[in-house]
Order: sequence, then C-alpha cells, then structure tokens
Amino acid sequence: MSLLLTKRLMRSLWRTKLRLFAVTMMVTIGVFAGISFGMYANVVTEMYNETYLDKEGSVNLPDIWIKNPGGIWNQTTSENLCQLVEDEWSSNVLELEFCEPRLVLSGLMYHENKSMSAIWHGIDEGNIDRVWLPEHACCSGRIAATADEIVIDYHVAKGLKIKLNDIISIGAGSGKISYTVVGIGLHSNHFYFAEPSSLLPADNGTFATGYLTDGGLEKLANLSSGSSNSILIDVKGSPAYNLLSTTENEGPELESVIENITVSLSLQDGISVVIHDRSGQDSVEFLRADVEGAQKMYPYVTGMITVIAAVTIFLSLQRLIQSQAKEIAVLRTLGIPRTSIMQGYVIAPLVIGSVGSLIGTLLGWYVGGPGMLNYYSDILGVPIVLDTASKSIIFENVMIAMVVVFISGIRPAWQASRLQPLEVFRGQNEVRISSRTIQKLTARLPATIGLTIRSSIRKPIRLGFTFFALGLSMVLFGTMFMMMGSMEDIFGANNDYDAQVYVPIDGEGEVVNWAQDNGVNYELVLQYPGTPEGDNRQFLIYGLDKIETKDSQLSMMGVNLKDGELPIINSTTLQVLIDEGTSKFLDWEIGDQEIIMLASTPLKVEISGITKGEMQRTIYFHRADLSQIVNINATSVLLGFSEEVEISSDLEDLSIGISTTEDMQKSMDTLMEQQQGILFAMNGLGLLIAFAVLFNTLVMNIAERDFELSTLRVLGAPMNKLGIMLLGEHLFIGIIGGIIACIASIFMATMMIESMVQWAFYFTIEPTLYHISVIGGIVVGMAVALTPLGMWRIYKMNLIEKIKDLSQ
Amino acid sequence: MTKVPLIELKNMKRHYEMASETVKALDGIDLIIDEGERVILLGPSGSGKTTLLNCISALDTPTEGEYIFDEKDVPRNKSEEMTTFRRENIGYVFQFFNLLQDLTVLENILLIQELSGKKDQERALKLLELVGLKTETNRFPSEISGGQQQRVAIARSIAKKPRLLLGDELTGNLDSETSTKVMKTLVSACESEKITAIFVTHDESLVEFATRVIRIDSGKIISDEKIS
Repeated sequence: MSLLLTKRLMRSLWRTKLRLFAVTMMVTIGVFAGISFGMYANVVTEMYNETYLDKEGSVNLPDIWIKNPGGIWNQTTSENLCQLVEDEWSSNVLELEFCEPRLVLSGLMYHENKSMSAIWHGIDEGNIDRVWLPEHACCSGRIAATADEIVIDYHVAKGLKIKLNDIISIGAGSGKISYTVVGIGLHSNHFYFAEPSSLLPADNGTFATGYLTDGGLEKLANLSSGSSNSILIDVKGSPAYNLLSTTENEGPELESVIENITVSLSLQDGISVVIHDRSGQDSVEFLRADVEGAQKMYPYVTGMITVIAAVTIFLSLQRLIQSQAKEIAVLRTLGIPRTSIMQGYVIAPLVIGSVGSLIGTLLGWYVGGPGMLNYYSDILGVPIVLDTASKSIIFENVMIAMVVVFISGIRPAWQASRLQPLEVFRGQNEVRISSRTIQKLTARLPATIGLTIRSSIRKPIRLGFTFFALGLSMVLFGTMFMMMGSMEDIFGANNDYDAQVYVPIDGEGEVVNWAQDNGVNYELVLQYPGTPEGDNRQFLIYGLDKIETKDSQLSMMGVNLKDGELPIINSTTLQVLIDEGTSKFLDWEIGDQEIIMLASTPLKVEISGITKGEMQRTIYFHRADLSQIVNINATSVLLGFSEEVEISSDLEDLSIGISTTEDMQKSMDTLMEQQQGILFAMNGLGLLIAFAVLFNTLVMNIAERDFELSTLRVLGAPMNKLGIMLLGEHLFIGIIGGIIACIASIFMATMMIESMVQWAFYFTIEPTLYHISVIGGIVVGMAVALTPLGMWRIYKMNLIEKIKDLSQ
Repeated sequence: MTKVPLIELKNMKRHYEMASETVKALDGIDLIIDEGERVILLGPSGSGKTTLLNCISALDTPTEGEYIFDEKDVPRNKSEEMTTFRRENIGYVFQFFNLLQDLTVLENILLIQELSGKKDQERALKLLELVGLKTETNRFPSEISGGQQQRVAIARSIAKKPRLLLGDELTGNLDSETSTKVMKTLVSACESEKITAIFVTHDESLVEFATRVIRIDSGKIISDEKIS
C-alpha cells in the first residue's frame, strides 16, 4: 500500500519536471562544490606536509630563519652564530638538528635582450631547505655541483622555455656571468612564485629564481668564501609553530626557543637580525593560508547551496501537498493511516537528495576536484605531485546534503499527514482571511494595483523563505563581484613611477647619477623588515622620500589615507602610517605610541594615520627618519621615465634587480585572465541558483492564481492588463528580493572575508552604489523576466476546462 | 418596426473528436433570444447545456453554424477578440461565486470595472445596494455567507452593464431558501438594468424566475416554452 502511495507521489513529482530538475541540480551543485574544494584542500595539505619533511625526495623546510637585513656575514661570523645558537639552545623538548648559513641575493637575469629581477640562492651543505626535484613532468636534471652550474626554477624554465644544458646570463650587482642549467626544480621560498613583498604571481619574463652552489653565488656577487646573510635552523621532526590565523599559540616551545635566540643575538655586538618561524616566510605562509581558506570554505559552500536546495524542496513540497490536498483527504477518508501518507513525503526529498548527491559526487570527484587542482597549479604555479585525496570528503559532503534535505522534507510531510478531510472537502484548508492592515494600506489604490500588492504577499512564509534562499544564492555572486572590484584596486598598478631599481647597500648614488644624467625623475625608497615588539609577525616597512596621498600625485609611491594625518618628518617621536590590517590585528589606533623592532633595534613610533589597500602589513616612515635608525640610506630608487628614456644596460649593471610598473600590470592582467574562468563559473553558479529559486516561487505563485486569473479571463480581462498586474507582482517581489540580496551579499561577504583574512593576507571589500545597483538590478531583472512565462501560462489556459474545474 | 433579436444561433454544432468516436455535444441548435428575456436551459447531465452556454459566452468556438449577437458575427478562434467580446457584452456568474479572496466585496466589483475601463464607484455601491449588501462593502468574501457571496457575484457581473448575463448552476452550491433569495435578487437586477439573462441549471424549481424555458438533451433543443 505505502509503495503504491509513494509511486503516486513520485509520478506527481515527475509531472513538475522542470522544478524537480532545478532542485536536484541544486543538491548536485552543493555536493560538487564541496567535494571539489575539499579535494583541493585535502590533496594540497598532504602535499605540502610531505614536501616539507626531512626525508629523501623532500626539502626539509627550516623551522627558524635568522636573517641579516643590513649586510653580509663572513664565514667566521656565521659559524660563530651557529655555535651560539647551539650553546644557548634552551629547549628540552625540541632538539636542534641542523644550523646552516645560507646566502640569498637579489639580482638580475638576462634573457633575449631583456633583464628581469631575480633572487639567487647559494646552497652549500643543503641539509635544510633543499632544492626540490620531484618526479614530475615539471622538473628534471640534478642540483648544481660546481661554481658554473645552476638549477633554474621551474616557473622560469616554463615561462622562458629554458631547457637543460642551456647557458643563461645572470648578475647580482657585480656584472654578468654565464651558468649552465643542470636542473629545473623548485624551492620552498618560491613555490608561490612572486616577487619579494608581493602577492601578485609574477608574469613570465618578469621575475626569476635560481639555485647555485655557494661558491657559484659568491663568484657572481664577488663575495668571499663562506659569506651568508641567513642562518637556517632545523629542529628535529616538524614542531608546531604559532599560526598567524588563530588567536591561540600552537607552538609555545618553538616560540620560547626563538625568544631565547633573539635575546642571545641581541647581546652580540654588530648583530642586528630578524628571526622568525615558518609564518614569516611569504611563500610558505601564503600557501598555508590558501589551503586553510579552502578548508574553511568548503563546508560553508556545501552547506549554503544545500540550504538553498532545502528551502526550495520545502516550498515545492508544501505547494505539492496543497495541490494534492483533496487526494490526501480522499485517502484519509478511505482509512489510509497518517504514517503511510507521511512516508512518501519523507522519501521524496531523500530520493532527490540521493540522486543529486550521486551526480554531485561523480562530478566532484572525477571532474571538479582534479580540475580545481590543475587550475590552481596553473595560477599558483605549484605542480600537484600527489593525488591521494581522502574519500572521507565524499562522506562528509554527502552527509551534509542528505541531512539538510531530510530536514527540509519533514515539516511538509508532517503537514500532509495532519490534513483534516472535512476541512479540505469544505475548502476550509485554503481559506485565508487577507490581512486587514494590508487592505487598509492599499484601499486607496486602484483595485488592480491593490490586488497586485496583496497577491505578492499572499504567502508570507513562502516569500520569506524565498528571500532567504535568494539572499544566500546572491551571496556567491555578490561576494565574488565585490572582491574582484577590490582586488583590481589593490593589485592595479596605480603608482606614479615606471621602474623600481633595487640597489646594494650604498649603491643608490650611482643610480641617482644615472637618473640625473638622463633627465629622469627619481625618489629613494628604503625597505626594511620589522616586527611588533615581542611578536614575530613581520611588517613591510617603507621609508619614502615623500609621503603623499595617491590622489595628490605629489609622490611616486602615494598612499591611500583612510584616517588621520600624514606623518610629520623629524618629530620627537617618529611619526608613521600603518595599514588598516595592522591596526585591526594589533589594535593600534591613531595617536597611539607603539614599539616596533627594526631587526633587533626597538623604536617607539607614533601613529599619525591609517592607510588602506595593502594586502601585507605595512608601515610608512619618512625615509630620512628611518635611515637614521637603520643606517641605510636606500634599498631602491623609483624612476619616472620621460618618453625618450628607457632602462639601459648600464642601469642594469648598477642594480641588483629592477621591477617595472608595466610588468606588474602584466602580471595583474594575467592573473585576472586566469581567474576569469573560475570567477565566471562562481558568478554564473550564484546567478543560476538565484534564478532557480525565484523561478520556483514565482511559478508556484502563478499556478496558485489559476483560479483568479481564469475567472478574470472569463469575465473579459484583457491580456495586457493581466500582464501588467503580473509584472507589478514580479517587480514588487524583485525589488524586495533585490534589497535583501544586497544586504545579504554585503553582510555575508564581509563576514566571510573577516573569517578568512589573517596577518599575511588582509583584505576588505567596499561596496559601492555600483555594486548595489548591479546586485539588486539582477534580481529585479530575473523576476521581471519571468513575467512572460506567467503571461504565456494565462494565454495557454483552457478556459473551458477551467470553468469545468471551477464549477466542481 | 421588427424587433432585432439579441442572440441568433443557426444550426450551431459543437463536436469533439475522441479516440474512438465523435462526441456531438451540440448537434444543430437553432435559437433566437430577444432582449429582456430570462431564459433557463434545463437538461440532464451531459445534455450539452453547459457547452451551449460556453459557445454563447464565446469561451468556446462552435464547430459549425452561425452565432450572431446584436446583428454582428461573434468572433471565433481568436482568443483576444473573444475576450473583448465577453468584456463588452457578457456578465458571468459562477457556481462557486469565484470572488477574489484578497479583495473586499466593493473591490471585487471595482476590479472588473477597472479592467473594462469603466471604473465607477458610485455605480458599484448602487449595485451592492440593489443586491441588499450595502452594509458589507468592506468585508472580505470569506467573512460573508455563500448566498451573500453569490449576490456580490451578481453585482460584479452586471457592474460593467453587459448586454447578456450568463450563469451556470449558480444556485448549485446554495440551500433552497438561499437559492430563492439569490434568484429574486437576480431577477430584480436584470429588470432594473434591462439585462437579458440565460441560466443553466438542472433545478426545475428555478423555472418560476424565468420568462422562457428551453430543455436540451443530447445536444438538441427538445422543447422551448415561454412563461407568462
């Protein structure tokens, strides 16, 4: 008996194929998205964990970095530093395994009459932070063994089509030397391939990295044997470290070791260092944050889309039960028990959920997940060398989907089982007294308009759920839309210089001379690392010749001043600007006086203003103020070329790296192009779901008005007037829906971004009138676009059949 | 001067092609109805009376035959033209009243007037007075009785001053006492507004409210008698 009843229900559901398809597709999309994101998070986390280990075929990522921002150590100094670290090692829990000096220099690579900024690594012992040559199509060859060999980074080889045994020409401030490419590989500092202090992936031909022997790099930079500017420390195993994205301290032991080393080194004459754990290494931290973001996102995405599907299932089932009320009443009259009736309406959403989950799983596991891994390896440039996704993500996502759809079906099923036959036969189950308040409010309007408004809000619960689901679905679109707008502002090359020429210490003078000889405008910049006192999170510190706002165009590197004032030079307490991310994470406000560490040197500063638009934590000084403290005049020179002047080889010879605004813009354009596909998919997905939600509700509304509309047609109401009434109803719903969609998008997008931002990657969205107009306009447009469907339905109505129905 | 009939049907047929046979719902109806008449169509279930009413109201198109209304051919097979014809000439009363639940009694009448482009609140109130519901103007349909709803439906159907009022089993959902009240209201309204009326029913007791009784069976008129 119950099987027959369930069959009856399935056939009636099948009659509304379009809506059934829409709901099933929503479940599919939810599960698909969840598995795709989940697979990405799962595989990439495993891959990074494996790659960073100390074992054959892995890189043995350091646990602590000690960096000298102000110069080069000789061999004796670096050996003494390692000995000091070993002697002062304070932990009984963590065991020091390796302490290795390392030389890492900025420079240039020359390729086809063009030069590009570069970073060169001189790797001597190679116990820690090894070059990675995985067994993968990306990489080949071996590590450099002699002073004229180099391993070029995979990103560079791919972009410039460099092969093994090619000869390349590179420099590091002391002329050019040629090296033979013996390997194409990767390095943990550059898995995410971007210029230092930039989060924009470098475009082909704008940035290079390579891995030489220690001797090879010393030769290139004309340094003595054993020179270094970093000490890498490896602790046995992989100790936890303090993650920037959480408030708790996951690595108190390691932090204690770092503090101890900091104190010990600060007591050494002439030693000024920056010390940090893995959270201070840009590439490592960025990739970790990316994976963490994906891990956080996928339950939200699955949950959100499935909730929308559940709302739609709920509304559709309710409508179905309403239309089948007489049938159910007849069944109850014939003695069918409540549980038998309820069973079908519980099974229906489970079947929809199962079908949707199955399709979503297949698509997610075999298409979406691998596709996402490939796509991200193209954008992030990290080849995916492991593909062992855990099947638990299937279980998790399907469970979320099935639980949500099950809950969505419970209430309609319960309602169906509770229908009273007599009430149904008397028509009392459908009688609703219209709201007197609404009637009073619309009484003075023409009856057609009054009816339009009252029809629109006839089913407030259905309308409420629709707006809720609509708001959620527009969150996807709205978030992506607003984020892209903000990212274009942040990444867009809107500085007023053409090139930034990096110079060795005291090397800016020659570049300035060149600029003066060539009639080129210039400004000096001093970049220096720093941290808050007692904290190893890093700032980017800029010392600028002129601190002016971008709008004023009085400086080549202008700032976006959000609050406060520009700093005054040479104040008693040095005045600085901080970015809004720094203000948020450290709770620093305008007027506060705080201590920052410039390497090992503490400095009290006063915050005069807060800037916006920086993804990384940034502090701006007047260069003259900063220079006095760190005893460095400049680290780069900004140049603004006139039309006849361009970068020449003698300028290249004076520098250890040149990045141009043009290259930055190219990188931005490439990134945006690469993102187009996924953005288009996400935006399209959001819009599709929103349309399905609106479609479902408006079609139900129209179907329920069959009685009313056919009566009016019989009484002679013309199509155009009925069309206007329908348009009015859809416009009304569209406008309310549009407002809700805007509010939901802005609110949820802001919340999502709040939950994802962290020290290394801070981001805000600023909704503008344009965003609001587009989001709201799309919802209104979709609602209005469904009017012809309603009119077509009225047009197609068989009035004869309707009269028969109405007479029965 | 020869009186021009309001309705002329000549050999009207309405056939339905089914899978195994042709159903002749109307099988050659010849009928003339003059202005001012109140005609009752009586017949058993399946006799064709509702089909005849549908053709007269231009809800349906006859398969064959002529239909002339006020000396003009009634549109056929063109939905909007047929709708226009109904809007300009026909008032319709349904068995289940078919009032719009979201509108008050008065607004139900005003809506039809608006859709016809003839909004006239005074007339709407006058009609409600005519049907004895002046005090119920601001009530919703669900707040009044079935008989009262049907009277509102009558007021609505004559609000735009149609030439012809049609009703299909309009007392089918009412008890006998209420049916009498409704029919009296209808007769009063038709006489007052000088409207010709045709009602379909299977209830012989309603004959007293008619000026003419036409009996139909198997798609043909079997008797047609005037009642003095």
